[in-house]
Amino acid sequence: MTYSGLTRRGFLASTAAVGALGLLPYNTRIAKAAAGGTLRLRFDGDNDVLDPGYMTGGIEIETQKQCLPFLAQYTRSEDSFGWEPTYFVTRLEQRDPTHIDFELADGLVWTNGYGPVKASDVKYSYERMKGTDWSGYFDALDHVEVTGDRSGTIVLDKPFAPFIMITLCHGPGAVLSEQAMKDAGGKFTTEFPAICGPYLYEQTPGQRAMFTPNPDWSGPKPAFDTVQANIITEVKAAELAFEAGELDCTEVGADTLARYTKKMPEGAGITVAGELQYMWLGMNTEHPKLKDQKVRRAIQHAVDVDSILVGAYSGTTAKSYGIICPGLIGQRNRTKYYSYDPAKARALLDEAGVSGLSLTLRTLNNQERMLAAQIVQANLGAVGISVKVLPLDSGPFWEMGQEKKGETWKDLELWLMRFGTTPDPYEATQWFVSSQVGVWNWERWTSEEFDRLYDEGITETDEAKRAAIYVRMQEIMEETGAYVWINHEPEAFVHSTDVVVNAAPSGELNYRRFEKA
Amino acid sequence: MLLYLTKRLGLSVVVICAVVLVLFSLLHLIPGDPATIALGPRATPEAITRYAAKMHLDEPIWRQFLIYIGNVVIGDLGVDVFSDRLVTRIIGERIGFTLTLVAAGMGWAMLLGIPLGCLAAVQPNTWLDRITGVLSVGTIAVPSFLVSIWALLIFAVQLRWLPAIGAGEPGDLADQAVHLILPAFAIGLSWVGYLARMVRASMLEVMGETYIRAARAFGLAPRRVIFGYALRVAILPTITLIGMGFGGLISSTVFAEIIFARPGIGKLIFDSVMARNFPVVQGAVLVATALYIAIVLLSDLLIARLDPRVRESL
Repeated sequence: MTYSGLTRRGFLASTAAVGALGLLPYNTRIAKAAAGGTLRLRFDGDNDVLDPGYMTGGIEIETQKQCLPFLAQYTRSEDSFGWEPTYFVTRLEQRDPTHIDFELADGLVWTNGYGPVKASDVKYSYERMKGTDWSGYFDALDHVEVTGDRSGTIVLDKPFAPFIMITLCHGPGAVLSEQAMKDAGGKFTTEFPAICGPYLYEQTPGQRAMFTPNPDWSGPKPAFDTVQANIITEVKAAELAFEAGELDCTEVGADTLARYTKKMPEGAGITVAGELQYMWLGMNTEHPKLKDQKVRRAIQHAVDVDSILVGAYSGTTAKSYGIICPGLIGQRNRTKYYSYDPAKARALLDEAGVSGLSLTLRTLNNQERMLAAQIVQANLGAVGISVKVLPLDSGPFWEMGQEKKGETWKDLELWLMRFGTTPDPYEATQWFVSSQVGVWNWERWTSEEFDRLYDEGITETDEAKRAAIYVRMQEIMEETGAYVWINHEPEAFVHSTDVVVNAAPSGELNYRRFEKA
Repeated sequence: MLLYLTKRLGLSVVVICAVVLVLFSLLHLIPGDPATIALGPRATPEAITRYAAKMHLDEPIWRQFLIYIGNVVIGDLGVDVFSDRLVTRIIGERIGFTLTLVAAGMGWAMLLGIPLGCLAAVQPNTWLDRITGVLSVGTIAVPSFLVSIWALLIFAVQLRWLPAIGAGEPGDLADQAVHLILPAFAIGLSWVGYLARMVRASMLEVMGETYIRAARAFGLAPRRVIFGYALRVAILPTITLIGMGFGGLISSTVFAEIIFARPGIGKLIFDSVMARNFPVVQGAVLVATALYIAIVLLSDLLIARLDPRVRESL
């Protein structure tokens, strides 16, 4: 009985042919990608709004940095972050605490026929920001004075020490073409009205963004002719794509970082951009169960932070001693009022006359936080405090301490919290001043000294004095007993050893400053 | 037939209305303020006000529902809350990739599964039948996301034969086809098993029918008996299964689309849920549901067209 005309020889021949077809095109493709000047990266989603005034941040800032002028950019020395003028300016100087002079470089031209980049563009861009979603970064801006075609002065209405670091170096500091913006109706989403930078930008939604050479660019040529940013939502998928040789650089998660630290893939390296996230165990100082400072101090002594770093974060994060992150002015390297000491914790609870204490620990329902919460639960259990872990989705989690969002803040006892920040200590401290009680200061303590130091820290330009201010502010926070500092998570990137990565401390990559090793 | 079609279309409209209601409720059932959830904890009051106005959240719920229904009826699925792009346009950009992937996945599963089922049925209780049975159960049991990861690790990471991510160079059909191989393999593998089992069972039943024995007795060639007579009848329940599978795959491609970083409707829904981009979630789910209903309806109509017994019973 014959069911088909396929012979054994025919089957083998066609299988071999199909196999050969499968092999040929792909190997060629890899070879082309490796030989060309294309840098292949990951975007975690589509760019939605590239307008600096209404962007979300992240990859939108990365895109702006390739296509729009900035006056300042981040630098990194061994253990601290700083700034320097970009190629776009020949001069950027802080004349006094409220005046920053700038002079734009000659020969900078906008695309789409919008002519040279002018000081009036800087004025338009920065003064416009005061009425946008990112206006907070320009609170201190009074106006920009245009003194010449390419020169001007940024005038602040009060001294604001972090202005260059958090505003001019960061996404909100992008300069737009005034005329192009007016022609575009004053706002834009995914297409730049005019570009001035080494790359042009084109996005294929859901697939990738391409950065191709800008023919009007007269500045330094970037190391890579083109940049291909593939849309890969999941960090795990991006890690696999890197291992498959289809990406030159991508962010990695904590578990992969731990794996790579033990055994790095051949030809790969790790670059840590910064550790600008701070996580802590918070306590509500107004809750009846936690009103006694001795009880809070007992909890501080009972939590073994080192176990959390190993158990929940595989040893890939830096131990925290406060809200000021590594590399920033005022970072501490030890705690002042507590250390891991369960015996002392028990003694303090006895002193406070507390026994059989049961508390609820609220946390976001992601893997690391849940693991951290379970370790805290075990630590507190060991000193006689029973803890119920309550995992929450992001919606209710971020509202639970806010008075305007309901009554949950009254029931808050313990929670695991993580904030991100910019490369200046001012931003991390702003959430804990008295006016933030019931907004972001969920621990609900107030301190006149803290509020005064906050104001001083903003205006103080002497780095040593600023450092002392922020160290003291963290001591005040710790003294309340409402905080157990946990860690600073890194923004880590795995990359081919052929590539030298350039990233802002908060993790945004800057492709035009990448280099070939 | 016309009455049947009218009934089915009416039922489809009811299902779509129910889905619209659930999708609308979704926004209000999630704990927390929809604007804060969508825009993040540190959104400015101005941004929250703008979002609320754009989504009509400042209106009473019954009015919001009427506005939503009215817009859906005229094909207006709203705008992406972040980029202000039309949801219909965003879905239009992605749906082609999903349909291509589903067609490729189901296509290769049919090409392999149906002949395998036939072979197993015409040689029952032989080594071929037993191997087919084991393979079928094996492929059905392994979830597609696991197949996706294994396929990616083996063929892209380890052997580097096939690409790991993306949908290929726009405009380059050969490159797009190469990028389709692994995801299509991953989503189609379990369907090879389903189809082989289904075809085998149907074929065994049909092969015992009198008219097949008569055809054999007349001395017709075995191939003609199998493919010309038996399979034509045995394939009918399989068409229903393929129709439902095709519809179901539209939304269940999400794992393959995420793992292989391919654009598509499943990934769009996933990304939009993660970003709390409610208009896109609502629009994409609605379109996926409508497609599912349309495909199942088409498969039912196809069966009615192919099978006179079904046609006459309508």
